[in-house]
Amino acid sequence: MISSFEEKSVWVQLVSLTLVLGGYFVVSGSMLAKGVMVLVPYVPVFAVAAVALVLVMAFGYIVAALTGKREKRDERDRQISWRAESNSSWVLASGVFFALCALVVQLQAVWVAHLLLCFWFASELLKLILQAVYYRRGV
Amino acid sequence: MEPNPATPPTGIRNNIRTLRFMASEMTQQDLADRIGVSRQTLNAIEGGKYSPSLEIAFKIARAFNKPLGEVFEYVGL
Repeated sequence: MISSFEEKSVWVQLVSLTLVLGGYFVVSGSMLAKGVMVLVPYVPVFAVAAVALVLVMAFGYIVAALTGKREKRDERDRQISWRAESNSSWVLASGVFFALCALVVQLQAVWVAHLLLCFWFASELLKLILQAVYYRRGV
Repeated sequence: MEPNPATPPTGIRNNIRTLRFMASEMTQQDLADRIGVSRQTLNAIEGGKYSPSLEIAFKIARAFNKPLGEVFEYVGL
């Protein structure tokens, strides 16, 4: 079955996020391992990752638009999006909870920031994976 | 008209495929355009993988000029 533009968009987001933020976590992980414990050196790395994410996603959307008819989002797309978001938001909520715990035990800001980023990344990945599954399996 | 015998995952059987065939072999894309959804969504409805809203269900029935009960049938899960 040929995928709709919305389903292709989900795959574009999934691949882009995995590649770019995965890359960011590899770089920042090695920086943390080397003992960089202030947040400032991570900012340019994150900025590069954010720009790369926009570029990779834009390229993906262009390819998706060129390889098929672009159709409007319909009720099934919205339902899939809502259900995936509803089933993945607990991951981000857990991240916020753990970040608050980290603040209570006075962990360094660099750890708190990466803890939050890591849980946001996991939450987005879960949402996109669920969307891809719902498109195939049905809702 | 007898609905498709297999019980779909949604528990709602439909006759859309038969009705399309009877309506001068209307394509999925034609029907999808008429009711305002993507062809993939119509394919999911037809295959019993997605239960449409009442609004879309009525639009499908109206496209074939049939009552709702002749297009969809609830068979449970």
